[in-house]
Amino acid sequence: MSAVIREAASQLVKSLEKLPQERVKHIVSLKESQLERFKAVAGLETNTQDAKQRPSMQDIKDIINRTSGPLGMQKEAMAKVNSMLPQEHYSVEALQEQTHAVNDLLNNKYKNYYSVGDKLMKPQGNPEYYQRLMDEIEGKQKETFWSAMRTVVFGK
Amino acid sequence: MLSYNASNGAKNLLHSFRSVKFPNTFRSFNYSTNTNKINKASDLESPEELTLKSHLKSKPIDYTNNAPVNPKKQRPLLSDSKYESKLYQLPKWKEALGEIVIKGFNLDMDKVRAGPVAGSYYYAMCKEQGLQFENEPLSPTAKFFYEDLKLPRTFSQWFQVTILHEWILFVRMRAMPFKYGKNYQQKLVDRTFTDIELRLFDEMNVNSSRIADQYLKDFNSQLRGAVFAYDEGFFTDDSTLAAAIWRNLFGGRKNVDMVHLEAMVRYVRAQLYVLSKMSDREFAMGGFKFVPPDETVHQLSAQQEEDMKKAVVEKYEAMDKRTDLLPSERSKLSYEN
Repeated sequence: MSAVIREAASQLVKSLEKLPQERVKHIVSLKESQLERFKAVAGLETNTQDAKQRPSMQDIKDIINRTSGPLGMQKEAMAKVNSMLPQEHYSVEALQEQTHAVNDLLNNKYKNYYSVGDKLMKPQGNPEYYQRLMDEIEGKQKETFWSAMRTVVFGK
Repeated sequence: MLSYNASNGAKNLLHSFRSVKFPNTFRSFNYSTNTNKINKASDLESPEELTLKSHLKSKPIDYTNNAPVNPKKQRPLLSDSKYESKLYQLPKWKEALGEIVIKGFNLDMDKVRAGPVAGSYYYAMCKEQGLQFENEPLSPTAKFFYEDLKLPRTFSQWFQVTILHEWILFVRMRAMPFKYGKNYQQKLVDRTFTDIELRLFDEMNVNSSRIADQYLKDFNSQLRGAVFAYDEGFFTDDSTLAAAIWRNLFGGRKNVDMVHLEAMVRYVRAQLYVLSKMSDREFAMGGFKFVPPDETVHQLSAQQEEDMKKAVVEKYEAMDKRTDLLPSERSKLSYEN
């Protein structure tokens, strides 16, 4: 991989690293998965424990292409697997676009441009809705049994 | 009222908030965004154009064991009921009887209207966005989702597209008076699951009700998770919203194109912006339509917004003053917010 592409990819990695950590743990994380994907392109060390233990896409491709009939697979099955493996070729332009998109997201470009104001942020029917949700996620103010029951009975 | 500029400047597509019942009186107020300098300077392309601009040609992994949606017999968009067909006209005597009942029992029409507007009209709109069948051409919006964003053409992907649009409507419904907003949300969700159940049996060849129940439970938890994640993203920032869209709509696939994610964030935020400029009355009467992905929503200037509000207030003031207004057309919802 050429140096220009590596340079563009490392710019992208820098932007991706600025993405906020998820407040709630999910099975997959956008930040982690994309870092893992583009750090490989940038030639940087992937430092997640998970990534070290699992075989990379390159390893899998190696295993498949090493012999004529690896893992005792038939020719058609091989062709099928090969067609299913993602082939990714990055150009500098594409990588720069990715960086640009990530930066737009980081700068809250659309939240600011399409600002909805208090009308939707503090909705009339349930003004505390989002604040309560955020307090719960961030652990600032936990719902008590009674406040939860109130929500069940009255709906807010 | 709000106008969007179609991407190709040749035909200057002017959209206005269309009120279902009174299209003629309403159409006359159109504002061209071209005249507004601020709008021109912002130089935004539509979500679709943005998507097509991307040079990353990575293809999604092709799972060839996808179950295509290829029904032997297709369900109608809403139901077989004649009352939901567009051609059906209620006999005059039934209409009159209905008006008498509404007046006699003093029914709350805002509550009654939740069924036909949220449960029928808005649900059909959400359903249409990602609707696809294997051997049929895609609608322009569906093309954006399945071809431009390269999402798999499956039933569960359709469900994800649908609940994204439903969530957009939920956000607006929360801003209605609580009693009514909750009712609108309830009707929309009820209708979604009734329809999915029927589609599973009729179109996806599910024969056992036990399996259908499992699917429905699964879809229910997907809906809860998606609404939670989108709410969080909507309230916090664009990158959280992008992550929520990636996990739900894009199924958390690793080789995602960030430009596509950005386009989706733009799409969602633009719809919410249009909704935020709409009064309760217009929205509750079914005056909202999703902005197609190939059109751009521009910010309104203060002047445009004021003009728009004035036109809406005038229209509904005149309507409420009419003495011959039918009991079924009455509403107490505000038209000033």
